[in-house]
Amino acid sequence: MAKIIEPPPKTERQAPPTRQVKRSVRRLESKSKVDGSAEYIHNLTLPGMLYGKIARSSIPHGKILSIDPGAALALEGVYAVITGDDIRRLIPDPYYGPAFHDQPILALDKVRYAGEPVAVALAKDPHVAEEAADLIAVEYEPLEAVFDEVQAAKPGAPIIHDVLKPATTFPDLKHLQGRSGTNVALSAHVRRGDLAQAFKESDYVFEQTFRNGKVIHAPLEPYVTVGEMAGPDGLTIHTASQSPSFVRSEISRLLGWPENRVRVRTAFLGGGFGGKLYIKLEALVAACTLLVRKPVRIALTMEEQFYTITKHGATVRLKTGVRKDGRIVAREVEVWWNGGAYADIGPRVTQKSGLTSSGPYDIENISIESHAVYTNEPPAGALRGFGISQVVWAYESQADVIARALNIDPIDFRRRNILREGRPHATGMPMTDIDIDAILDRLAERMEWNRPFDRGSATIRRGRGIAIGIKSCVAPTTSVAMVNIYGDGSCGICSSTVDMGQGSDTAMAQIAAEILGISTESIRVVHPDTDVTPYDMATLGSRSTYHMGNAVRRAAEDARAQLLRMAATVLKTGEGDLECRDGVIAAHCGARVTFRDLMVARFAMQAGNIIGIGSFIPPYEKPDHETGQSRQITPFWMLGGAGAEIEVDTETGRIHVVKLVNVGDAGSPINPDIVERQLIGAGTMQFGFTVFEEMIFNEGQVVNASFADYKIPGMLDVPDQLSGEMVEVPHRQGPFGAKGVGETGMFCVSPAIGNALYDAVEVRITEMPLTPERVLRALRRAQNRPLGSD
Amino acid sequence: MKSFDLAEPATIEEAVALLDPEDKSVRAIAGGTALMLMMKTRLFQPTRLVSLRRLNGDLRGLRVNQDGGLRIGAMTSLAQLEYSHLVASTYPVLSRALGTLSNIRIRNVATLGGHLAHGDPHMDLPPILMTLGAKVSAVSPRGRRWVDICDLFTGYYETSLIKDELITSVEIAGQPPGVYCWYEKFTARSADDWPTVGVAVRYIVDSGVIRDPRVAVSAATERPMRSAAAEAALTNAPLAPHVLSKAADAAADELEPIADLHGTASYKREMVRVHVRRALEKAAQWRR
Ligand SMILES: Cc1cc2nc3c(=O)[nH]c(=O)nc-3n(C[C@H](O)[C@H](O)[C@H](O)COP(=O)(O)OP(=O)(O)OC[C@H]3O[C@@H](n4cnc5c(N)ncnc54)[C@H](O)[C@@H]3O)c2cc1C
Repeated sequence: MAKIIEPPPKTERQAPPTRQVKRSVRRLESKSKVDGSAEYIHNLTLPGMLYGKIARSSIPHGKILSIDPGAALALEGVYAVITGDDIRRLIPDPYYGPAFHDQPILALDKVRYAGEPVAVALAKDPHVAEEAADLIAVEYEPLEAVFDEVQAAKPGAPIIHDVLKPATTFPDLKHLQGRSGTNVALSAHVRRGDLAQAFKESDYVFEQTFRNGKVIHAPLEPYVTVGEMAGPDGLTIHTASQSPSFVRSEISRLLGWPENRVRVRTAFLGGGFGGKLYIKLEALVAACTLLVRKPVRIALTMEEQFYTITKHGATVRLKTGVRKDGRIVAREVEVWWNGGAYADIGPRVTQKSGLTSSGPYDIENISIESHAVYTNEPPAGALRGFGISQVVWAYESQADVIARALNIDPIDFRRRNILREGRPHATGMPMTDIDIDAILDRLAERMEWNRPFDRGSATIRRGRGIAIGIKSCVAPTTSVAMVNIYGDGSCGICSSTVDMGQGSDTAMAQIAAEILGISTESIRVVHPDTDVTPYDMATLGSRSTYHMGNAVRRAAEDARAQLLRMAATVLKTGEGDLECRDGVIAAHCGARVTFRDLMVARFAMQAGNIIGIGSFIPPYEKPDHETGQSRQITPFWMLGGAGAEIEVDTETGRIHVVKLVNVGDAGSPINPDIVERQLIGAGTMQFGFTVFEEMIFNEGQVVNASFADYKIPGMLDVPDQLSGEMVEVPHRQGPFGAKGVGETGMFCVSPAIGNALYDAVEVRITEMPLTPERVLRALRRAQNRPLGSD
Repeated sequence: MKSFDLAEPATIEEAVALLDPEDKSVRAIAGGTALMLMMKTRLFQPTRLVSLRRLNGDLRGLRVNQDGGLRIGAMTSLAQLEYSHLVASTYPVLSRALGTLSNIRIRNVATLGGHLAHGDPHMDLPPILMTLGAKVSAVSPRGRRWVDICDLFTGYYETSLIKDELITSVEIAGQPPGVYCWYEKFTARSADDWPTVGVAVRYIVDSGVIRDPRVAVSAATERPMRSAAAEAALTNAPLAPHVLSKAADAAADELEPIADLHGTASYKREMVRVHVRRALEKAAQWRR
């Protein structure tokens, strides 16, 4: 079957050739990725380097009775074995984390999930290190474990952390409280209106529970960090990280060092998807490097990814009151997030995705409870969408249930309820720079919603479904950028945004190029290096285009202002008479001067720098702790929609997606092609999560921890027709009107397919993924001839 | 990974002499695709691997036998089979099955010998070979013997090969003109995954009546198996939808599926029923 993975025809997309933004500039790094010259930390080795291999816990919960490195140390070629106690000698309080300082660099006293790092063997030969790691003998006293997020939140569940120590690093997580005697790390609330009364006045009440299994990021480049001493009292960490600035501050905190003694650098990432955020291997590598005072490299295998970080499993209970006319008047949401053994950024997922879990709907009466729960499974963190796809799965599946019960067309039902410009979101913030109607229009058009639909026949039934979703962007966060004009007039951008395949280098260069009137392709983007590039919160949550994009814009404006001042002197005219265009500064009278000539005029030769600085931190108001209300909860809203047309094999339960349309509001796109590719890429990723990707656990052990047994979609699996569609709603504060869009394509794919499934065969599945067996079992139950053991 | 010896003998005699019937940690390595998976998960820790890479002669090449069938060297890669015109014209059912047998990276290195010797019940080619009729040449220090493909698989990852025996080649029987063949692969996850159920069928139709039917199933059960009950239901019966359904029911009732990551036993039983019927139907449609 031929696949059509193409954006729609590009008619109105031709911007005037002098413009750098709104132009589908080719990725700056394309050639280097094709010819293999692109830099990845994965390829880095250093002279005298030791390889570290991790010995991992074999049980999900237990006390460590003893660790015997004897046999490992006896192996020829083993340099050292490092345990949690060794690390404690270097770092007295070796716990890290962006929300809670709960994760030990190596397990101390206790293990909390099967696969947790317990010790590291170091050797010059990675195979020797691996064999040594296998020889480290650890004795445990097993403790009762808990895996289900709802069970774990109940009183009486085995307690995973005796005390919780909030990190207080990030302003949006400042309110976290130290707790003990519970597995609930945090509960976030939103309250609005009078819920009880509204339910009483509702004509219908719908209540359902939806579940999501766990999946992983599966970047092609697994987690990798290399550490080396930088002089006697400094440390350099080369790491495939999405958050170099955070790594620096967290490592400095752990060591009790000033930040300027820790240098963190990254290169291109072979994918990240939220996995490579905060601390993954960096603290362990830093500690090992300092203990042995030699370069140390730890690179995980594909298999070890499954023991590092996952997406959150979640249980979402949703109760919705609706009037006869199809208006939603009340919604009560309770979400339990399976955060695994360590909080990582789970509390932020809990809070941010919790607060939008009532959906993109204008509802007067709302109550949301969102709980971050510890369990004895590998830690869960950010995964492209930050928890949004889990809640959209719930509220958009239910939207379909309601629309059908009321016999209202699904698109029409949404139109009756969506938030529009100026209306208050559940958190109270008035909506700005959004247009959900435009998303629904585009879905209706591309899905040919009003045309007769072939419903299939015999054992192949056809159906279609849609969904819409909303996300807020993390706030408040800071980005700082530097635009550097060198002596010859060429330009470099220093930013700590990490290009992990999403095209940020190109987008940043486009923004600076637009302001400076030079070509995007002529700009060099310097990759994150905390000794060189300024602070950035992290490359996450679709924030870079908006935040770093604004910082780069300001930095370029700053550089331009300096250039114009210099040019005004040289050309003896007013600054107002000058503009940067076509690589020169031109006066209205026709006089021109190149950047290089300006540098020569100022520095008497081809020398010197013009440095423009820009920093950006959007306004934010902390939500009220009890009600979640805030006048400014997010710098911008992300809106998306998806439509799916599917075929269901009623004898096997297999879903074949014929067509998947993924619509995203990108504001005014900086680079339309990249935006469409992001929507298509995210759509494909969430498609895999929807139809078959799932980590399978047995008593806390991951039983399919390899890509032989955990399958991600390939070319033969993706929908026959797959498209990414932009809706352009310029954002007033976005750089040239742009919004972030890296996650938008993830939001809606699952319920669009789930709703299409119902449309095709009238079974509603509430738990993801929609595997053939799950579908067939549901079908057979509905036909009253259940499969065995059902 | 523990260090181990890698031997690269140049002759089959040297190779079988390097194997050790008593020592489980000594094995032959062909493409290594299956072995490396086991080594990575420490299911298998070798002390010595005997690489078949340098072996020639019987282990290489494809040729036509007197009965019109093919003799295929054990070291032939699955990609070579996939692209072979000889295979495509002799056994189109094999060529077609190879397209979704894992991915091209695996097919480029995996060999036919390794594919059969591994004894993994989830393999795609064993049921096809079982329906076409094939025998395997097994060579040891004691000489050569021929093993019928239907007697090769004795249990879950178990074969009737002795630890110092090597498969050197496979002979697939020539087929009568107008034979009906089909392989139906059903995966629960990605298209190139191991099958949840694989069904191969082969039969002849003589004036509307089914003769010499063979039905083999992989992945559902602990080893690839022919279904005697399905074959009995088809033998000398008219080629009619209800006959094919009855045969499918017979296979589903007869075989004992086992649960794994691809599905529960009851789901797999149902998939046997569906795919035996579909394979029988498609074999007939494809012929037409
Ligand atoms: C990711 C992945 C996906 C896969 N998907 C599929 C799939 O969809 N369908 C499918 O059918 N298969 C699939 N396979 C399995 C694949 O077909 C086998 O791995 C392959 O055929 C084995 O061949 P090899 O040459 O690599 O064997 P090796 O790994 O070299 O050897 C396998 C076993 O056979 C023994 N051996 C090898 N050659 C001989 C010989 N000549 N004589 C005696 N013993 C020998 C070895 O000692 C070892 O025990 C997949 C494999 C992988 C890794």
